[in-house]
Amino acid sequence: MLFNLNFRVIGETLPEFWLGFISTLSISLTAFAGAIVIGIIACAMSIQPSRLVRAPAVAYVDVIRATPLLAQLYFLYFGLPSFGVLMPETVIGIIALSINSGAYVSEIIRSGIMSIPRGQVEASASSGMNYWQQMRLIILPQALRPMVSPLIGQAIVLVKDSSLLSLISVLELTRVGQTLANDRFMPTEGLATTAMGYLIIYFGLKLMAAAWMRINHPSARH
Amino acid sequence: MTMFLEQLQGIAQYYPVILKGVGVTLALSVIGIVAGTSVGFVLGIGRASSNKLLSFVIGAYTDIFRGTPVLVQVFVVFFILPEAGIELDSFTAGALALSNIAACFISEIVASGIRAVPIGQVEAAASAGLTRLQQLWLVVMPQATRMIVPSLVGQFVLLVKDSSVVSAIGLLDLTRSGWIIVQSVPNGLLVFSVVGIGYFLICYPLLHLSRRMEKP
Amino acid sequence: MIKFKELNKWYGTHHVLQNINLEVAKGEVVVVCGPSGSGKSTLIRCVNGLEKFQSGTLIVDNLPVAVEANLRQLRMELGFVFQQFNLYPHKTALENVTLAPIHVRKLPKKEAISRGRAMLEKVGLADKFDSYPQQLSGGQQQRVAIARSLCMQPKVMLFDEPTSALDPEMINEVLDVMVSLAKDGMTMIVVTHEMGFARKVADRVAFIDKGIIVEIAAPEDFFTTPRNERTREFLGKILHH
Repeated sequence: MLFNLNFRVIGETLPEFWLGFISTLSISLTAFAGAIVIGIIACAMSIQPSRLVRAPAVAYVDVIRATPLLAQLYFLYFGLPSFGVLMPETVIGIIALSINSGAYVSEIIRSGIMSIPRGQVEASASSGMNYWQQMRLIILPQALRPMVSPLIGQAIVLVKDSSLLSLISVLELTRVGQTLANDRFMPTEGLATTAMGYLIIYFGLKLMAAAWMRINHPSARH
Repeated sequence: MTMFLEQLQGIAQYYPVILKGVGVTLALSVIGIVAGTSVGFVLGIGRASSNKLLSFVIGAYTDIFRGTPVLVQVFVVFFILPEAGIELDSFTAGALALSNIAACFISEIVASGIRAVPIGQVEAAASAGLTRLQQLWLVVMPQATRMIVPSLVGQFVLLVKDSSVVSAIGLLDLTRSGWIIVQSVPNGLLVFSVVGIGYFLICYPLLHLSRRMEKP
Repeated sequence: MIKFKELNKWYGTHHVLQNINLEVAKGEVVVVCGPSGSGKSTLIRCVNGLEKFQSGTLIVDNLPVAVEANLRQLRMELGFVFQQFNLYPHKTALENVTLAPIHVRKLPKKEAISRGRAMLEKVGLADKFDSYPQQLSGGQQQRVAIARSLCMQPKVMLFDEPTSALDPEMINEVLDVMVSLAKDGMTMIVVTHEMGFARKVADRVAFIDKGIIVEIAAPEDFFTTPRNERTREFLGKILHH
C-alpha cells in the first residue's frame, strides 16, 4: 500500500509541483543572498574593537541561534501587521529566512577569518600594511576558501527551513504537497513527491560540496 | 502604554497554556535527545564499520532524513503512517519524527568521531589480541566520544528548536501556545517575544556549554 | 619459531615483498634494516597479521598466520611495539599495560595490576603508574609500550622502528630496555637503523631493499665484510654518523 504509489496522480500534478519547486528555489536563493549580506555586516561588527558596535551583533547571533526559526517567522508574520507594515507572506518569509541564516553566515565568516594563522597578520603588518589592506589583500582572500563548505551546508539548511513558509501560506514545495495531499486524499503521493523535490536539491548541493572538496583538497580522504 | 500592559496581562492570563507548551517542548526534547543519541550511536558505529554494505545502507537511510525538512518528516509520520495501519497521536508522531532525525544527524557525528581515532590505536589494540568488539568498546569509543561531545550538544540545541514544528500538527508545544495566544492578544511581537524568551532560556545554556567545550 | 616461506605481497601492482624466505629460531634476535620503502615495516607487520599477503606461507609457533582464526591466539604470544607508540591516551600507564592481560588473557584484576607494576618497574617507570601518556616524554611512552607488550608474556617481541620517532637523547633509554630483553633470551625481530644495537645483541642482521632480502649474516660479517654492493652502499650511508 505504501509502495503502490499512484503515479498517474503524481504525473497529473507535476506541473503544480514544478511551480512549488521553482518557488522554493527562488525563495531560497533570494534569502541566501540576503543572509550573506546580513552575515557580512554582522560579522564585521562582531570583530570591531568597540564594545558598543560588537554587542548588538553578538546579541543578534545568540538570539537567533537560541530560538527556533518558526517562532522567528511567527514573530514577523503576526508582529509586523501590528506596526501597520503589510507585506506579502512570501516577502515576510524571505526576510525571516535571511535574518535567521544571516546569523549562521556571520559565524561562518568569522571562523573563516579566525582560521587564518596569526603569522599572516604579523607578516602583512610587518610589511607596513594597515588594517584594511591586511584584510583586503591577505586575510579575506585566504579566509574565503574554508568558508565555502560550511556555506554550502548552510544553503542546505536554508532550503529545508524554507518549508516552514508553507505554514504562513506561501506557495512553495511543501505547501503544494500539502494542498494536493488534502485535495486529492493522496497524502503518500503528495509527501513522497515533496520529499523527492527536496532530495534533488539536497543531493545537488552535496555534489557541489564534493566537487569543491576535490578541487580544493585533491589528496584528502574524506 | 496601557495597551501594552493590558496585552501583557492578557498573555499572563494564558500562563497555563504557556506552561503546558513548555512542558510539551521539554518532553519532546528530552525524548528526542535520549532516543536520538542512543539510536544515533548504534547507527554511527554501523556507518563507520568496514562492512561496505552496512555503511552504505545506513548512509542512504540517514541521507534521506538529513536531506528533507523536519516539517515534511513530521507530516509523513502523522499522515502517512496511518495508511500503513499505524495511527499515532500528535505527541508520539512528533517524538518519533524528532528522535529519528536526531539519530540520523548524530550517526554522522559519531561515525566521523570514530574515523578520527588514529588507526594506530586500532592496530595496537588488535596486536594485543583484543576482539573487534573489545577494540571498539575499550579503545575506540571512549576516544571518539570525547571528541564529539561539543557537536552532540550542538545537535541537542537543534533538536529543541526543531521540536517547534510539531505545532504544525496541532500539538500544544511552546510555539503553538504562542500561536493560540496571538489569536486573542493580537500583538505578535509581544507574544512571540515571550515564546522566544522561553526557548532562549532552554537553548542558550546548551549553546554556551557547547561553545565552552569546543575551546581547548 | 617464525618461518617465512616464499612470501609475496602486492599493493595493487607494487610488489612490496618478493619471495621472502626467513627463519627466526627461538631466542634469536634478528635485526632488519633497509632504506625507506624497502618493505621492512610491511615484513614485520605480516608476522602478527596487521598486513596480509597474497602468496607463500608464514608460520609462527607452528600456526599459519594466514588463517584468520589463529590470529587471536597468535597475537597473545606476539608483542608489537610501534614507531608511534600508540598508547591509549585515555588510560594511565598502569591501565595501558593491564588492559590486554585482563580482557584477553582473562587475568584477574589484582594479578594483572601486580604484573603491570612489575613490568613498569622493569622498564624503569615505577613512579609513573598513574601518569597519562600525554604527561610522559617520548622515551617514557615507548618504554610503557614495551611494558604493555611484555605484560602479555609473549613468546616473541616485534619492534617496528621503535626509536625512529624519538628525540636523540631518549633513544638510549629505550635501547637499553631492548638490550636487556635480548640478554634475557627473548625472541626478537627488530626493524631499526640503530646499528650499535645490532652489533651488541643481534644474532643476525638482514638487509632488505625493494622487497627482497638482499643479505643476511651475523653482525661481525655483516658490518665488516658485506657481500652485496647494495648492502655496502646502504651501510655507507647510515654508518656515517
